[in-house]
Amino acid sequence: MTATRRFSHGELTLALHELHAGSGPSLLLLHRLGGSSAEWGAPPGAWPGPVFALDFAGHGESERRAGGAYAPELLAADADVALELLGPCRVAGAGIGAYVALLLAGARPELVPAALLLPGRGLDGGGSLPALARGRILPAPADGPEGSTDPMVWTCDSDPRPPDYALAFASAARRLLLAEDGDARPPWWEAIREASVARRLAAGVTSPFAALLD
Amino acid sequence: MTEPEYAGAVAPERTRTFTSLGVPLRLSEWGAPDAAPVVLCHGMFDHGRGFDLLAPLLAERFRVIAIDARGHGDSGWVDAYTWGTDVADVVNVLRSLGRPAHLIGHSKGGGVATDAATRVPESVRRLVNIDGFGPPPEGFVIPGVQPDPRPIPVRLAEFLDGRRASADRATRCYPTLDDLIARRLASNPRLPRPWLRYFVFHGARQTERGWTWKVDLRAGRGFGPWRPEWIGPGYAQLETPMLAVTGSERDTWGPLPESVIGPRLAHVRRLERARITGAGHFVHMEQPEATAAVLLDYLDR
Repeated sequence: MTATRRFSHGELTLALHELHAGSGPSLLLLHRLGGSSAEWGAPPGAWPGPVFALDFAGHGESERRAGGAYAPELLAADADVALELLGPCRVAGAGIGAYVALLLAGARPELVPAALLLPGRGLDGGGSLPALARGRILPAPADGPEGSTDPMVWTCDSDPRPPDYALAFASAARRLLLAEDGDARPPWWEAIREASVARRLAAGVTSPFAALLD
Repeated sequence: MTEPEYAGAVAPERTRTFTSLGVPLRLSEWGAPDAAPVVLCHGMFDHGRGFDLLAPLLAERFRVIAIDARGHGDSGWVDAYTWGTDVADVVNVLRSLGRPAHLIGHSKGGGVATDAATRVPESVRRLVNIDGFGPPPEGFVIPGVQPDPRPIPVRLAEFLDGRRASADRATRCYPTLDDLIARRLASNPRLPRPWLRYFVFHGARQTERGWTWKVDLRAGRGFGPWRPEWIGPGYAQLETPMLAVTGSERDTWGPLPESVIGPRLAHVRRLERARITGAGHFVHMEQPEATAAVLLDYLDR
């Protein structure tokens, strides 16, 4: 069963999908850059409570942000309004959704008891320093996968992600889980891993979401 | 209220609307339409009419185009502002001209112009940055305001709180234009009051409830991990020749001490510098003739 709530934030209307009903702790899913809530498919098995998935601005059934401003902190502000509506939620994010989950876990510990970071598009951003490379300013629609996605969201592929900035949020979070799969991770992720402020989930865990309830 | 006059200030000969990423931007123009183009970018919380002193002097030889940045002056407002979209707007204006242009920016507009030139060097002939070399390492210290010592996640929470409330776009109104002038004078005590009357008039509007700034105050409320030590390495990627202009006098927002600005500018490959005597941060407003003379000399070479 899927029910979609639309809520307005500033001048935007955003889509929040309820993928699964239940009584128990809530789970909020944040998709990868260029993705949408539809990609989560069936809700994570055996999650005891309601499962929600947000379409970020410029993605899925959410509106594009007029003027084209996209940044992890702005996506976090949109997701924060969903948290305001839903109350405390475990948050799981993929790619840029993982980075947004990290920001929310650090800034809103009272609303995010635990966050799970999964790989996906937009995980790296532009690396540890700003990417000023020529041409990296106005992405053409052809730069990304087809679909309803606003081309300007791809500017998030070059926003700087200094490791110490990410570590500040990881250190302020109540509980953080890193989904490892053997692939390389960006420096900000490695900084969190090395500082031992997060629990690592080894490759091959069949239901990483269950660890959010531990 | 009748429009104030100020000696040397010339209103734009033409204005038009240019749409960038769906946002209507006000462009103000002086000079022959078929002359070589010069694009002007103003600073934070300023607007294109702040070039009413400099632009007519440059217009003797150029088509001068001043951009009102999004959220500023007579340009449209948006739901959120980022440095990247400001740079994209300048790039879009440059690309629309059909030929390379000289690019001049003041303060934040100097930083945005520098980034734009870095990204589209084929569209920029020469770059002039007027005291837009970023904040000092410790950030700009506003008189009477202490730096924020709180951890970054706490500050992001405050930003999120502000975004939750952002549906409320109510702007503060002041009883008279003089109230706005007094506020600006407190921040920029070097600027002559008659000029501020002219400059503030064009950056404000009269409503039923009083006078209010045209600027969207949210334009100053971004959040991200940006830091001053990235400025110099960014300059290293600039191919376009840059003239770095500073004033001789200490002022609220610059010039930076040489110990800060020197190492940053050392990254610029094709650098010239000019120092305008008798000017603080608002070089082109305080000394328009001297500034125009230096700029015309540089741009014509």
